[in-house]
Amino acid sequence: MSFTFSRRSLLRGMVGGVAVSVGIPTLDMFLNDNGTAYADTGARLPIRFGTYFWGLGLTDTPTGSRWVPSTKGRGYEITPELMSLSPVKDKISVFSGFRVIGDGRPNAVHWSGHASILSGIAPLRAGQMDGPSFDTKVADAIGVGTRFKSIEVSANGKPVSYSTRSGKSFATPEPTPLALYTRLFGQGFQDPNSPNWQPDPSIMLNQSVLSGVTEQRRALLARVGKSDQMKLDQYFTSLREMENQLAIQLQRPAKAEACRIPTAPKNEPPKSASVDVINANSKAMARMLAMAMACDQTKVFNFVHTPGQSETYIAGDSKIYHQYTHDEPTDAKLGYQINTSKLAGLVMQALGDFLTEMDAIKEGGGTLLDNMAVLAFSDTGYAKIHSVENIPMIIAGGAGGKHKGGQHIAGNGDPVTRVSLTAQQLVGAPVGEFGSGAMKTARPITEVMG
Amino acid sequence: MVALACAAGSTLGLIGVGSLCAPVLAQVPSVSKPVAKDAVKAEPFAMAVRRVTESQYRNIIRDTFGPGVILNARFEPELREAGLQSIGNAQLSITTSGFEQYFSLAKSVAAQVVSEKKRAELVGCVPVDVKVKDDVCTRSVIERYGKILFRRPLTEAEIAGRLKIAADGTARIANYYEGLQLALASLLVDPEFLFRVEAAEPDPANAGQYRLDAYSKASRISFLLWDSAPDAELLQAAIAGTIHDDVMLKAQVARMTASPKLKDGAKAFFTDMLQFEHFDSLTKDGMTYPKYSQKVADSAREQTLLTLMDLLVEQNRDYRDIFTSNETFINRALAPVYKVPYLSRQEWARYTFPDDAERSGILTQVSFLSLFSHPAASSPTKRGIKVKEIFMCSPTPEPPADVDFSKVQALDKGTVRTRLLAHQENAGCSVCHRLSDPPGLALEHFDGIGQLRKLENGQLIDVSAEVDGTKFTGAKGLAQMLRADKRVPECLVRNVFAYGTGRPTTYRDEDYLIDETKAFAADGYRFKDLFANIATSAGFYKVAQPAGLGPAKLPTKIQTADARTSIPLEMVK
Repeated sequence: MSFTFSRRSLLRGMVGGVAVSVGIPTLDMFLNDNGTAYADTGARLPIRFGTYFWGLGLTDTPTGSRWVPSTKGRGYEITPELMSLSPVKDKISVFSGFRVIGDGRPNAVHWSGHASILSGIAPLRAGQMDGPSFDTKVADAIGVGTRFKSIEVSANGKPVSYSTRSGKSFATPEPTPLALYTRLFGQGFQDPNSPNWQPDPSIMLNQSVLSGVTEQRRALLARVGKSDQMKLDQYFTSLREMENQLAIQLQRPAKAEACRIPTAPKNEPPKSASVDVINANSKAMARMLAMAMACDQTKVFNFVHTPGQSETYIAGDSKIYHQYTHDEPTDAKLGYQINTSKLAGLVMQALGDFLTEMDAIKEGGGTLLDNMAVLAFSDTGYAKIHSVENIPMIIAGGAGGKHKGGQHIAGNGDPVTRVSLTAQQLVGAPVGEFGSGAMKTARPITEVMG
Repeated sequence: MVALACAAGSTLGLIGVGSLCAPVLAQVPSVSKPVAKDAVKAEPFAMAVRRVTESQYRNIIRDTFGPGVILNARFEPELREAGLQSIGNAQLSITTSGFEQYFSLAKSVAAQVVSEKKRAELVGCVPVDVKVKDDVCTRSVIERYGKILFRRPLTEAEIAGRLKIAADGTARIANYYEGLQLALASLLVDPEFLFRVEAAEPDPANAGQYRLDAYSKASRISFLLWDSAPDAELLQAAIAGTIHDDVMLKAQVARMTASPKLKDGAKAFFTDMLQFEHFDSLTKDGMTYPKYSQKVADSAREQTLLTLMDLLVEQNRDYRDIFTSNETFINRALAPVYKVPYLSRQEWARYTFPDDAERSGILTQVSFLSLFSHPAASSPTKRGIKVKEIFMCSPTPEPPADVDFSKVQALDKGTVRTRLLAHQENAGCSVCHRLSDPPGLALEHFDGIGQLRKLENGQLIDVSAEVDGTKFTGAKGLAQMLRADKRVPECLVRNVFAYGTGRPTTYRDEDYLIDETKAFAADGYRFKDLFANIATSAGFYKVAQPAGLGPAKLPTKIQTADARTSIPLEMVK
């Protein structure tokens, strides 16, 4: 069963007062009529959402910061560690001064920060979250109709993802450019612009393989305890998503004007955690991910550049980034940790490259980046002391005209969940409030919302 | 009640029982089942659902369809908790991308089984007409393989579902084997294959208590000893109910311990205990360690497993010899790292380090030394933490979040030891570093990939150390210290038990663990005896009822001393 709303029918409905019962964020998404969210043909360009994570925060100093812009609002100046974001400066909002409020829970080092941003709850301990990560809710809301509900990527060689439905089982990301290519454009990929599209008859046979399993769901769930039910529920959710994938492959894909199928990467990159290798991987994977969205394979992604306690390093250097953040003294003359800040800049180069790749794809009247929102964030603020205050957060992309970028917003100690809520509402997820305890909020940051 | 139908079927042959049995829970034939006063009490219940691990998956497919079936997939990462992945895995499910992988594996395995090359051997029957369905042939295939994959006979409904899939598929493409392939694939994506569902039932011998049901018991034995599903004989013992008989159980365990497949079980256990999953993401800096390569990493992992299998399974030596024995195996990739010539034409050759070499035991092998190091440097702290955590079950507390590092200045000169001693002089750091570093400091004659060295930055490296009042020097001193430490065999017993049951030990297990440790010592610390003792002990099958199920609510508090969490390597400096 599926309903298709055309923009016109929706607008007509609104005039008739029907839309009163529609959730506000969803309504906002459809309401948008500023010319970028809709292509000339009248077909609505999809809004995409992604998370982008990097480890070890950015560098604060005992007296200031290497990344927080000194002015607020529009026209903020680019700081040294944000230098790589200059090309997309006007399409991003920088959030400083937001923090994790633990309500008495311990600061699980290199974990509490992003766990709170994603789940809205200060976690009880490292390694798990006390609720689902919100990207899964966004995927449920907007990730329909594409082959993949979401795509997870880890650019550092380790299979790290913070996307979770249960808080315990985390998504398995694609760890190399080749793996990502194979998942997106390998078997099962259908060129949306192919003139000779034919449904693949083997898909129906594949459907029959799964049909037998689906029928057992109720009986199996009835037999087990609650925590096991959650596990099995996740299994059946995954199974259902596979069924959806197959169902979508049986439909003629809608044309995607920006879609150009990339070529397969020739060689696997060297297995290394050095920052040059990770950044090269990250860039290659960003390009593939951008094309996956332009080709309508997914609308949601979760990208991990480096994990929480990043082990990246400068090739040949015997100390890893994590060690530098803790051990390196603050330079007496310059007033900050020199090597730490250098590594922070290198790590942020990958985010700059990532967003530039998204911005390079022309779509409708603008670019892919204009039709998406990416929430980029880290695990800590000042990594030297495992601070969960002033965690750097960035929202990038126009969100189909809804995001008023080019601003620096100072949080003044507000919870990080306000930024998370903002990101969700920008892409039209039907969420009115987010977080729990002192981090519960119903107040998005309206300054950046159009 | 379904359970009765199963019990009634227990005297029939395999297929008969399968066809009578209703869903998993109800299959336990129990001849002497007492009449329960409370109907709820008599119902078996599922107590644990655990995802089959990658190596279990691989072993089951090999045992079911033979070693010729190729598995080309990436498995989902596993989760380490309370020191073991087998405990963490109880938390895991199958994510979307994981399911895609299992689905594509299922299709690939099924296609290989019915392929023209293999069908004579693996399908085992020929359809009357290759264009038309053949329920008899399909049923025989589904029953035969379904029983191994699900670790129990299939229910009639489960078989009927597969017959329909096969028949529909054959009707659609007019090819019997393609229809059969679909039915086989559907077994391989079934949650009853991909998850181990352990079920409990009232214990007829002890009113009010519960025990594992026969199929769950068979699986627990077989996953411990073989890291795979029960074979036909063990499954038959479960079907017949004889698995609940102590003499018969001992006979099964003796048979299984004597099998070459014991090495699969022992390897899986040590792979888990030694945290070898870190090899999957281990990287080294090519400029600092040009000799290091993926081949070296793979070989290092294999070397340690070969050494352990040789000492503990083949030679049946004292477990504590793993720290002190200088016997090992090397290959062409490892020889340059160890700086020894490799003259053999074989892939691996036995090698015994001379008595005056600094190397002895698995802590001086490339695997341990490189896993617990940085990309471009050794890490006494990582190594020290892991020696204590892995071999002594003594975890180091996590560092405090607000620890003040400012007093610890970076020292680019001198040795790592100098820097770490600075930690120890700082009150905030010393609490943990005093505990964590010493075993690692004793291993400092080995660099970040395990190459021998005496100097760092031109200075002689001091490898003296002290743990709990015992002073020693270097790797050999550390090995002797571990050999003599009571906590080492205790820890192994605890690990084997927790690994086999898939749960952390609690205060209620302490008496049991003490007894098993005594038996382990009395047997001369033979690992094989420990495996067998645990697999035949009643305590291994005891069931604590999960909250919210059934009437009896037992406390499930985890003892603090054992609520250990493995510290993620990345946070260790």
